[in-house]
Amino acid sequence: MRPTLVVGNGPNLFLFGSNGRRVVGPFPVDPDPRRAAARFDLFGPEDVPSPLLAAIEAEGGDPTVLAAPARLARALAERLHRPVGEPDIDELRSARATLPPLEASAERRFFLALGRVRLEEALRSPEEVLITLAREEERVERSVGREARAAESFVAVPGSALERHLDTWARARDALGDLEGELRHTLESEAKRLVPNLCAVVGARTAARLVAAAGGVRPLARMPSARLQLLGSRRRPSPERGPRFGVIYRADRLAEVPVDRRGAYARSLAALAAIAVRVDATTRRDVSAALVTRRDRRVDDLRRGRR
Amino acid sequence: MRVGRSFRSVAGSPRLLDSHPGDRRELWTESVGDLPPVYGERWVEAGTRRLRHFEPGRSKLAAAVIRGWSGDLPAPGERWLYLGAASGTTASHVADLVGPPGRVYAVERSVRPFARLLSLAERWPNLRPLLADARVPRDYASLVPPVDGLYADIAQPDQLGIVVANAELLLAGDGGRLLVALKTPSMGRGRSASSHREASEATLAERVTLAPSVSLEPFHRGHFMVGGRWGRSARLPSRPSPRLTPPRGRRRGRSAR
Repeated sequence: MRPTLVVGNGPNLFLFGSNGRRVVGPFPVDPDPRRAAARFDLFGPEDVPSPLLAAIEAEGGDPTVLAAPARLARALAERLHRPVGEPDIDELRSARATLPPLEASAERRFFLALGRVRLEEALRSPEEVLITLAREEERVERSVGREARAAESFVAVPGSALERHLDTWARARDALGDLEGELRHTLESEAKRLVPNLCAVVGARTAARLVAAAGGVRPLARMPSARLQLLGSRRRPSPERGPRFGVIYRADRLAEVPVDRRGAYARSLAALAAIAVRVDATTRRDVSAALVTRRDRRVDDLRRGRR
Repeated sequence: MRVGRSFRSVAGSPRLLDSHPGDRRELWTESVGDLPPVYGERWVEAGTRRLRHFEPGRSKLAAAVIRGWSGDLPAPGERWLYLGAASGTTASHVADLVGPPGRVYAVERSVRPFARLLSLAERWPNLRPLLADARVPRDYASLVPPVDGLYADIAQPDQLGIVVANAELLLAGDGGRLLVALKTPSMGRGRSASSHREASEATLAERVTLAPSVSLEPFHRGHFMVGGRWGRSARLPSRPSPRLTPPRGRRRGRSAR
């Protein structure tokens, strides 16, 4: 006897009976495409439509039940009180091939809703929020600088049309400055929550930019310190004269180091930062005091001209 | 639009057109969406048709056609799975090529490019965006119906493995079309680009009847278009390869980042 197979096409589930692959269905998960999409990734036992359960029972005997995707199999197992397996690749292929295709506009609504749901879900994690904030802050910082430079070289001739828009422009600059301050404040508090040790070593803003450049805390934690040192650098590494800094150039206390020793400091700092972010990504113990002591000792040594 | 410009369909793909201003060859796809442009590309109207410029410097598929790709191209009414759609530059053109009755299922894993792909799909009626990891085709096997073709542009060292896993599960069967933009720069620096190409073709040849691959230089450095039809004894299209135009140096196309 062939196993009974349950396969979905997005908003609907179908049953392939054990005798001769008769298709029963559709069993809609939810009539509303947006709600059906929201349930697709969180499919639980209570989402199994009861007509589907009845249809499985009606198959009679004790057929093996297979279901895909894995979430569906787990949910079904819980409702049926017996093990439900996953179909192999050929069973899944042939089942998909016999399913009636979803009507075009229903399919489109479902995909757009699912895309929106998944996108929001992916962007909701504190890590992604921090990355978004870091990118925003960097952009706004750049435009604040650009506007300030433009204001310096702008000469408003008294009594001319040039003078008239100065006020509005100044207000726009102030507003932009406020936005930057606000963003930086949020960014720093979020960074201190997510990567406290790294923040202590390099400063909250640099920490956030490092996380953003690496694409997350875990990818950053897996990087060797040499790579972390160069994250965000524009020049290409070369044997003759590669870059010495990336994002880390803006780290705390780097400006206090003599210019010709900054490369050496960046190297040591990257090593400490790598330790810090690995702790942040794993045990989340507070090791900042020890790392900061080592960092400050290094700064002092370099300022006194010791190697 | 300049007066006197004539557009002709490229053999094998009625919605792909070319024009020859001067001694150059330009490609155009017949749009299924509305203005504004997706990524700043030029639009022209030719009779009742609205055409979008298909630039070889931006899209590996366009570069392949310019370099004389003789294998299959997406044709009207077909369903294609697009792996690595990013923000949808080439995916929008593939959607143009399959036309309103066709479908393009565009898989992208990165969140931020996907946000742009989603807003593109909201105005491109036959594009279905999917935020998913192409390494795990089972995760979306219950969403994507069997497809006629698979286009892959994935910057991963094991891109061929990903392509084969997807083709096994989701391609409609033998004879399904396969187009892979082979990115040798992300396949390891231990070997040269051409040895990567040979090794990849040998791997694919176990499962696929290959069309002659083309290099995408000078538009995309270290990239090749490989592909053909699924199954070891599938029949390849027996049409003459399109007119070859010698690439005109680095002036027109820049290499992809």
